[in-house]
Amino acid sequence: MPNDNEIIDNIANKEYEFGFVTDIEMDILPAGLNESTIRYISEKKKEPEWLLNWRLKGYQSFQKQKLPEWQNFELPAIDFQKISYYAAPRNKKKYNSLDEVDPELLATFAKLGIPLSEQKALTGVAVDAVFDSISIATTYKDKLKELGIIFCSFGEAVQEHPELVQKYVGSVVPHSDNIFAALNSAVFSDGSFVYIPKGVRCPMELSTYFRINTENTGQFERTLIIADEGSYVSYLEGCTAPMRDENQLHAAVVELIALENAEIKYSTVQNWYPGDKDGKGGIYNFVTKRGICKGANAKISWTQVETGSAITWKYPSVILQGDNSTGEFYSVAVTRNRQIADTGTKMHHIGRNTRSRIISKGISAGEGNNSYRGLVQIGPKADLARNFTQCDSLLIGDRCGAHTFPYIESKNNTATVEHEATTSKIGEDQIFYLNQRGIDSEKAVALIINGYAKEVLNQLPMEFAVEAQKLLSITLEGSVG
Amino acid sequence: MTQEQTIPLFEEVVNGWNKLSLSGGVKKESSDLRRARQSAFDKFRELGFPSIRNEEWKYTNLARFLKDEFTIEGWEVPGKTVVPDAALVKKAGITLLDCYQIVLVNGSWDGTIGGGTLPKGIQLLKVAEARQDPALSVYFEKQAAWGDQHFANLNAALFTDGLFIRVDAGVTVEKPIHVIHVYTSESNLLVQPRNVWVVNRNAELSVVESVVSGGTAKIWVNGLTEILVHQDARLHHTMIQTAGAGVRLVQQTTVHQHRQSLYNNFTITLPGADLVRNDLQARLEEEHTESHLYGLYLAAGHQLVDNHTLVDHQKPNCLSNELYKGVLLEQSTGVFNGKVYVHKDAQKTNAFQQNNNLVISKKATIDSKPQLEIFADDVKCSHGSTVGQFSEEALFYLRARGIGEESAKSLLINAFAFDVTEKIRIPEVEAHVNELISLHIPVNHA
Amino acid sequence: MLTIKNLHAEVEEKQILKGINLTVNAGEVHAIMGPNGSGKSSLASVLAGRENYRVTQGEVIFKGENLLDMSPEVRAREGVFLAFQYPIEIPGVSNINFLKTALSEIRAHKNLPPLDAKEFLRMSREKQKLVEFDAQLVNRSLNEGFSGGEKKRNEIFQLAMLEPALSILDETDSGLDIDALRIVSKGVNKLRSENNAFIIITHYQRLLEYIVPDFVHVLYDGRIVKSGTKELALELEEKGYDWLKEESREKATTI
Repeated sequence: MPNDNEIIDNIANKEYEFGFVTDIEMDILPAGLNESTIRYISEKKKEPEWLLNWRLKGYQSFQKQKLPEWQNFELPAIDFQKISYYAAPRNKKKYNSLDEVDPELLATFAKLGIPLSEQKALTGVAVDAVFDSISIATTYKDKLKELGIIFCSFGEAVQEHPELVQKYVGSVVPHSDNIFAALNSAVFSDGSFVYIPKGVRCPMELSTYFRINTENTGQFERTLIIADEGSYVSYLEGCTAPMRDENQLHAAVVELIALENAEIKYSTVQNWYPGDKDGKGGIYNFVTKRGICKGANAKISWTQVETGSAITWKYPSVILQGDNSTGEFYSVAVTRNRQIADTGTKMHHIGRNTRSRIISKGISAGEGNNSYRGLVQIGPKADLARNFTQCDSLLIGDRCGAHTFPYIESKNNTATVEHEATTSKIGEDQIFYLNQRGIDSEKAVALIINGYAKEVLNQLPMEFAVEAQKLLSITLEGSVG
Repeated sequence: MTQEQTIPLFEEVVNGWNKLSLSGGVKKESSDLRRARQSAFDKFRELGFPSIRNEEWKYTNLARFLKDEFTIEGWEVPGKTVVPDAALVKKAGITLLDCYQIVLVNGSWDGTIGGGTLPKGIQLLKVAEARQDPALSVYFEKQAAWGDQHFANLNAALFTDGLFIRVDAGVTVEKPIHVIHVYTSESNLLVQPRNVWVVNRNAELSVVESVVSGGTAKIWVNGLTEILVHQDARLHHTMIQTAGAGVRLVQQTTVHQHRQSLYNNFTITLPGADLVRNDLQARLEEEHTESHLYGLYLAAGHQLVDNHTLVDHQKPNCLSNELYKGVLLEQSTGVFNGKVYVHKDAQKTNAFQQNNNLVISKKATIDSKPQLEIFADDVKCSHGSTVGQFSEEALFYLRARGIGEESAKSLLINAFAFDVTEKIRIPEVEAHVNELISLHIPVNHA
Repeated sequence: MLTIKNLHAEVEEKQILKGINLTVNAGEVHAIMGPNGSGKSSLASVLAGRENYRVTQGEVIFKGENLLDMSPEVRAREGVFLAFQYPIEIPGVSNINFLKTALSEIRAHKNLPPLDAKEFLRMSREKQKLVEFDAQLVNRSLNEGFSGGEKKRNEIFQLAMLEPALSILDETDSGLDIDALRIVSKGVNKLRSENNAFIIITHYQRLLEYIVPDFVHVLYDGRIVKSGTKELALELEEKGYDWLKEESREKATTI
């Protein structure tokens, strides 16, 4: 059995397996941010004027805002002028069919385990693949169309469903929300768009796969999902990036709108490049995700497995406006090396009898730091609102940190809020017990971690639960405290 | 606009400083103490009064309390004693408690001790004297001791009086010391009592503090108490805050704990004062220390009661246990902000923290923010926070036994508070607290 | 003393009592038996006034007055006592203080002055002895950390203290070992008189060997499907409930 130090070094040296670079001709906008950058992007995407104006408003808010200062870690300086805000594979025009897509690109996604040709595609999952700034291909589009479901790139939605986009974009995350959301509003390149019509239950998982490839670019995608009355959709996103010494910025915005009796399930498996063992390189994952349960009995559920990125900063939230609506947040976040994850959720209880449930599992190893930061807010009209929060932190090794910052604000005396949190090290006695039954320490840790995270992993669509379990095991391979 | 222009108290503080720093009393102080005052004042001037943009004051907006004008008292004539109103002192008294009684009026003590002569090995002094005593001024002269803490810096710059207690090594003081703080004035006043208590090796002491107020004016109390609990020493500390309307009470208590020491704190806040902000900081500076922090807040009217606690685990093998319970009545607001910080070295830490709130009235608000910041791995830490109402089941059970709804509720409030009150080690103090609670709970016997 | 006429009730919009008729006179002991889910405990809850039970039809007259109009505490003061199936734990409320409060309220309702401390103590000691209730438990928090048997004994101790006219024992025998069962039954038997009445809800005949009922009723699907004397309980013990279920189904189809 290796000793603790060897094991901890082992984790630190674990290679990032998605760190390759795709060699392909790109259109890249020179680094820098000003009004003309925004006009260039908007023009390149042939956008209507209202959208350009909205972008410019976003840019104005961006200029007025400062980087956050409340975090308990040192935020490295970010030079927004050194980032390129647009990079797209060089290509004549829109792809009409998969045959027209550069084979190199198809190969890239195949290598990532996301085959884009429908014969080979994961059954029961429709995928929108985003490469740097641009959506490459969306599978199963026609099949979905028959049901009236719109699943396409954001850019396409702007062209083909402008009324829906204009009605809902920025309605949950306004362009002035925070500095990164403002930046996204100004320069967002592409992303996914989903509309599920009234009463339709989407028959397959919808999925977007994000890939950052080009050096010194930022990725700023925007996802908008609208579930009309009585509809249901389950959506999953995955992401990777090459290994680079420089940090790259990912500042996405996701907006979910669930109307009366609708349900949206949003799952993320985040595996951006985390940087090397000395903390060099890696993605800054500063994402704003928020959903609104607009109508009565609506439900929004966020599930996330966070294993990548140098710094993760995100709080998928739910505004519980409709009476009897439900918000859920299930999260597993793993940090190792010098990774920092500061994640959690906000549940805003506005309507009567609204419910929320938060389950957060943090695992810190190496010199990683993991924070749960969450807000449960009960408004004066949220009679009989209920929240339950459970945050557990597991520490592996004595150089990591685990932190819990829950905020509870209640303005209603009929509400019930419960928060519980524990922090402990991985159980030596548990490992020993498993050893004694013939299971080696590496497998034992994987078993324990997966058991520890089970409540969250169970929330993932079946196709991805297995992947996520594997990812957790690989990320923490061989770690014994 | 600067605070100097918008907050009358800021201007008064600056003027006060200008006079104090030149006063005869301060000139008699050591040069180190004067430097400490200067650095604290510079820091306060830089920081100003906190706003809600400051994370530690996020839920406690001082704007409405800082609108009033206050005059600084005590800097010219330290120890100038007002004769305490006998009724006020009586109100703070604890029935049947056998204790030594000290009365501080607006932060100053006239030197009299009730309840008998002090035993050997314990000294009580006026801070007005202690700060000029070369042998004792060491307790006041630490530079930059208060970091970014607005009110602690303000007190450290401008304090003139308070209570100094020292218990010699090995001495167990059998009877508790009951310190009654009376605040009373006919014109708006800023009072800044500074207390230093030192419990030496293997000594034991119980202190019960009661805060009461009278007079018609508004009084801002900015208290700072620094406590040293040396190796193997034990201090049991109870604070009962029953000040009335018009009082804004900001009280910081910082405790330094050495090896194998024990510190028990009970902070009980009852309806009355407009604002109560308690900052209790237990710094576990050596191994094998034990700290128990219990709090009970019963807020009513438009009261804002904010309890901030910090348990700072610096060294291994320490235990801390914290339980704060709140009952929010009428239009009151309660704030709980508890931080447990476990340093890298502090392996084998056991830290528990719990905050429970009963929100009784429709218009009451509670903001709870328990926090764990942990940098060591071999630890057992947990926290919990709840906000809720009475258990319907419990209420039904009591009603099914013939107990009316209102009485059942008041029984349940007492039961809720019981987890804290039962831990008070002195039965007379426990009874006193229970009586104060009953006094404020709406009981409607048929 | 108690007349239940055509009582219908629902909980969470589910019909659970579907027309109960029952008359209980002073001095009588009625046993109500029936399979799980037949509505036995619901009947107890409705009589005690649990809020999530909604009476949709029928009436309950207790000592000439409409019981359903009264709040739970007024019912208790009028003399309805429910021995809970699952007595709740209330940490921080001492058993003795709780009983003192309850007794004073009940006495006040009858225009009697509260007992002084001495009298209360004497009464409490006497009743403890009567129901063999451990004196140490009296001074603890209400049911906190009590074993299942101790909780049930505490219910009977309260019954003894509050001297109700009508006592409803809701599955008091469940979870009791034979010794505890004997003690509880002995207590109840000592408390039986010409002036009070008992409704004993139970799943098993076992308890009825110790507390002999005057009448036995079988509740099934929200209705009393059979009434008889104590022999009925023995019959049930022998044959189980299935024959009754069939009988009631036949009845339902023939109607």
